[in-house]
Amino acid sequence: MANDNRSNSNGNNSDPDFKWDPLRFISKKPDEVLKKVDDRLDVLEKEYFSDKKDKEENLPNILEIYGVSRRDFLKWTAFLTSALMLPYIFEPRVARAANILTRTPFIWLDMADCMGNTEGFLRTAHPTPAEIILNYVSVNYMESIMAPAGYQAETRRTETVKKYKGKYILVVEGAIPTGMDGKFLTIGAKGDTGLKITKETAKHAGVIIAVGNCAAYGGIPAANPNPTSAVGLSSVTNRSVINIPACPANPVNLVGTLVEYILIGKAPQLDSLGRPLWAYSGRLHDNCYRRGHFEAGEYVRQWGDDGAKKQYCLYMMGCKGPFTWNNCTTAEYNQDISFPMRAGHGCIGCSQPAFWDRMTPFEKPNADAKIIIPGIEATADEFGVGLFAAAGAGIAAHAIYTGVKKKKEHKKSKNEKNDDSGKNDDNKKE
Amino acid sequence: MGLIMQNKNSKYGEIQLVHRMTVIKRIIHWSFFAAIINNIITGFYIAYPFLIFGKTPTQADSLSTGVLNSGETYQAFIMTWMREFHFIGAVIIDVIFFVWLYLAFFSWKEPLYKSFIPFGDKLEEAWRMLKHYFTLKDRPKTGRYQDPLNAIIFTLFHLLILLQMLTGFQMYVASFTGTSAVGAWWPWLLHFSTDWTLVVFGGLTGVTLVHLFIMWLIIIFIAYHVYIEVWRSIMWKEGDILIPFGGYKYMRNKSESESDI
Repeated sequence: MANDNRSNSNGNNSDPDFKWDPLRFISKKPDEVLKKVDDRLDVLEKEYFSDKKDKEENLPNILEIYGVSRRDFLKWTAFLTSALMLPYIFEPRVARAANILTRTPFIWLDMADCMGNTEGFLRTAHPTPAEIILNYVSVNYMESIMAPAGYQAETRRTETVKKYKGKYILVVEGAIPTGMDGKFLTIGAKGDTGLKITKETAKHAGVIIAVGNCAAYGGIPAANPNPTSAVGLSSVTNRSVINIPACPANPVNLVGTLVEYILIGKAPQLDSLGRPLWAYSGRLHDNCYRRGHFEAGEYVRQWGDDGAKKQYCLYMMGCKGPFTWNNCTTAEYNQDISFPMRAGHGCIGCSQPAFWDRMTPFEKPNADAKIIIPGIEATADEFGVGLFAAAGAGIAAHAIYTGVKKKKEHKKSKNEKNDDSGKNDDNKKE
Repeated sequence: MGLIMQNKNSKYGEIQLVHRMTVIKRIIHWSFFAAIINNIITGFYIAYPFLIFGKTPTQADSLSTGVLNSGETYQAFIMTWMREFHFIGAVIIDVIFFVWLYLAFFSWKEPLYKSFIPFGDKLEEAWRMLKHYFTLKDRPKTGRYQDPLNAIIFTLFHLLILLQMLTGFQMYVASFTGTSAVGAWWPWLLHFSTDWTLVVFGGLTGVTLVHLFIMWLIIIFIAYHVYIEVWRSIMWKEGDILIPFGGYKYMRNKSESESDI
């Protein structure tokens, strides 16, 4: 589906039938795969680094600035390799890919959103290698961190698109308003609409990634009633889009997807919602460390009660883990130390489409959500009980009606009987 | 005794036994009933866990529940059991639904489709029955076969069950990771037949709410069904309520009102 062929542009992935399935097994011929990956990495390294020294010193230099030791970096490559569901033989190759990634031409577009993803990646106090690498990718265009402004910035973008046709990585953050021909969002000196910029840039990108729920599915800008007709990226381009949803998206998922793209030049396997399977195939509820308490019927019933202190299940407090697919429980947030349930609050389902409409109320069980029937403001139970009461009243009314009517008829027939009682007597005598 | 029968005969006409439900159908009826009641109770628990096990002292509602619910996590597993019984009940309902579907067309005794065809006539008869419920007059003579109004309502009820099955299977297959032990065809079949519910009802949360709401419609059906069968038994004096127990009802060749007037 997403594995469209970009062989003309990048490296040596000229074989469209090249099977890549990290979830089960890489390929029937592992040696061939390794050779392909190595060849591709060689070609890319030759392209992006001037000499051997440049290649070898690039990443250490970057990591040194942030005080990340070589050992920490190696630990991180091991972590990312296993997160990608790759065998450990890929560890050095992941490290090489991370190195190449810092030099790959890169465009980051900000559309209608809060820029939470940018903040999530750039503003960490103790960044992990994932955030550092994102920080140091050779960003050709990214409004929030680039030095050029105005016409210069615009030129930078159009030039990148021209120069690296089919090679650059495009990351889009934020929903794209389509109402009024996209005029709800205009960017830059020329006042181009976000819709136009996205379409132009997506046309020639090597790989397109929608990061954050807004870019992937419209997110909060597209929440009901959606006055700007905001949509996700995949709705405005006919190219295949890799969605990395969540609010904000986990840097590990973005870097992992990018690394996989560097390794094989293809999008990873995607699920039905366009998300990489390696990151989004697990349901939070199934991988949650509080799942045992769910099964045992041990629930937090009120914020700060004893159950909360004992880390009981947050199901009654509106945790949407049962409806959410993400890898928060394994590749955690906040420099890989925590995620909502560990912090004591339920999941709000931010990696699912339209979570702002469908997962609310966030702090009540899903059964307490209002049902979407026009003109009715009630939960399924309230409405159901209402209907049941109405039906009960109807049954009671019918029963009473029947009784009264029957009595009347009975009286009537009695009177009639009394009138011609003689006849009845005659019958009896016979 | 003989005298009473004689009197009744003269008043209501002769009593005839009518065989209406075979043993199979009665077994289906009552296992359906048990499974649905089971799934309503366990389903309520899954939506709102009303028994909180492993309570801490401040969470216990009373001393007795506090004692009852003390113990280790593994000793409770109440949600596990509720879900397990919900799934068992669901399997029974699924099987019964398909058996019902088969019998509705291929029953030797009384296939349901015969209560629909010829369509126009039977609709009119259903309309007359509806009028009879409110006027208590002109009862259509349907003693020998399923009356069309009931047939329509039962069909709608089974469509509700079908929707309940589809939404239920969508929630069930959502927890699958990869293939199942019986092979990839099983999750594929479930996805193939139920994934449309995600689009129509707005994601898994919407599917859950629809599942919950249909339960109320089913409860309403049960209330209606019991009431109307009792009502018929009282009003028609033909023992309609006995059908699911013994399989037989009575039929009189004269109705009470006819004999009276």
